[in-house]
Amino acid sequence: MITFKDVSASYPRRGLVLQGLNFHIGKGEFVFLTGSSGSGKSTLLKLIYQELKPSSGEVVVANFSSRKIRNRQVPYLRRKLGIVFQDFGLLENRTAGENVAFALEVTGVPRSFMRNRMSKVLTQLGLAGKAHCYPQELSGGEQQRVAIARALAGEPHVLIADEPTGNLDPAISREIMRLMVDINAMGTAVIVATHNYGLLSGRDNFRRIHLANSGIIFDGPCLNFDPRNAAG
Amino acid sequence: MSILRSFKGALLGFSRARTMTFFAVMATSFSLLVLGLFSLIVLNLSGLIRYLEDKVEIVSYLRDEADRAMVGLAIEDLSRVEGVQQVRFVSKEEALENFRADLGENSDLLQDLETNPVPASLNITMKPGYRDTLHVKEVADAAARFTFVEDVDYGREWLRRIDVLKHAVGLVGAVSGAVLVLVAVILISSAIKIAIFSRQKEIFIMKIVGATNGYIRSSFLVEGLLKGSLGALLAVGVIYGVTEAFQRKIIQITGFTSEYYLYTVLAGALMGLIGSWISLGRYLRRI
Repeated sequence: MITFKDVSASYPRRGLVLQGLNFHIGKGEFVFLTGSSGSGKSTLLKLIYQELKPSSGEVVVANFSSRKIRNRQVPYLRRKLGIVFQDFGLLENRTAGENVAFALEVTGVPRSFMRNRMSKVLTQLGLAGKAHCYPQELSGGEQQRVAIARALAGEPHVLIADEPTGNLDPAISREIMRLMVDINAMGTAVIVATHNYGLLSGRDNFRRIHLANSGIIFDGPCLNFDPRNAAG
Repeated sequence: MSILRSFKGALLGFSRARTMTFFAVMATSFSLLVLGLFSLIVLNLSGLIRYLEDKVEIVSYLRDEADRAMVGLAIEDLSRVEGVQQVRFVSKEEALENFRADLGENSDLLQDLETNPVPASLNITMKPGYRDTLHVKEVADAAARFTFVEDVDYGREWLRRIDVLKHAVGLVGAVSGAVLVLVAVILISSAIKIAIFSRQKEIFIMKIVGATNGYIRSSFLVEGLLKGSLGALLAVGVIYGVTEAFQRKIIQITGFTSEYYLYTVLAGALMGLIGSWISLGRYLRRI
């Protein structure tokens, strides 16, 4: 479903960040994307949701190829993805419910459908009574759950999380991770980019892709990863 | 996305970003108000000038012994001069009556007169557009050439002042008007730029959840249109109020036609629309 073929990526000012990336992520997979700060995790994710075009190679996501995709098709690709960020990315002047509904609004679905879907997904994430709360009124963990709810609202193929626990304390972080595993268990593929290796503990069989020196130096089950190779 | 939904969305957007909306609406309103008041002043000054010009009259005083027939010919001749509207003969008797009326309370001074000292005259008025010093002097000179004309008075000083006033108003009006329009455009576009800039995050999130550029654009454009219209309506309201207040309490002034008010609201709406379009452009170019 997500395929990287010999992908390199660079920024105008930063220069080459990633090169020679080759991997495939299939339906329903769970992948940890690890690497130190600046190793290119966010860049790799941007390549997936087409905020960045590869400088060479091809990125194929849900049948959309980076080579052929037109700018006006990008929104339609993104509707198949659910993206979560470290700073939650919620709109301050809308309630939790409105934030979630927002993801559906842009696709032009009928109001009634929106309402139903919104309460369903909020309930799924344990936020049943919080639909009318504004982000400022919610804790960090709750805000991130609203963000996840919004990401799931459109029933995406993949949930992409870029440092989802970065602004959360360890206990809440573990909760969020458990949530992601549950979501994955229901069939949604999940990619979690993080440099918080604590999140990986107890998940030995989960797939891990580790980035260092502009490339993938490890792609396999977590338990096979040798920490001495972390810096590449 | 339906029009109605866009409108409802826009109004919702207003209530969510109250300060920014207020600022943008006020900027538009203020600029259009200043422009409007300025136009009102220029309009009334032009009206005043026209009123003064209407009063321009060439009075050719005739000698008492002037021959009726020759005067008749003179009237015909002068009537044919380009720009002359009317040549009217004022008899000695009529002139005396006018003089008496002008004197008012002091008219008893005339009681003891044996003869009528007031001369007859030919009063010449000019057509609109010919009421400046050049044309008036031409006619006055032509009148003076007749031998039976004693003296010609055309209010030289008065006319000169009107000329100066006309040029001043014209020049100052044009320059100030241009400057005000420029200021208005800058002010309104800045306010809109700021309003959109402050919603960068919202635009980013809209793109992340898969909103098309068209969707994003339509929601912001409708908002821009409404803000512009609202600002213009406010300005129009104030100008109308000022005009009414003046006309009732102070002096009858020229107001604007309802077409002008409509054009102002349309201009405001258009500025809001175009301003939003341009400001949004930068944020939509990145995919």
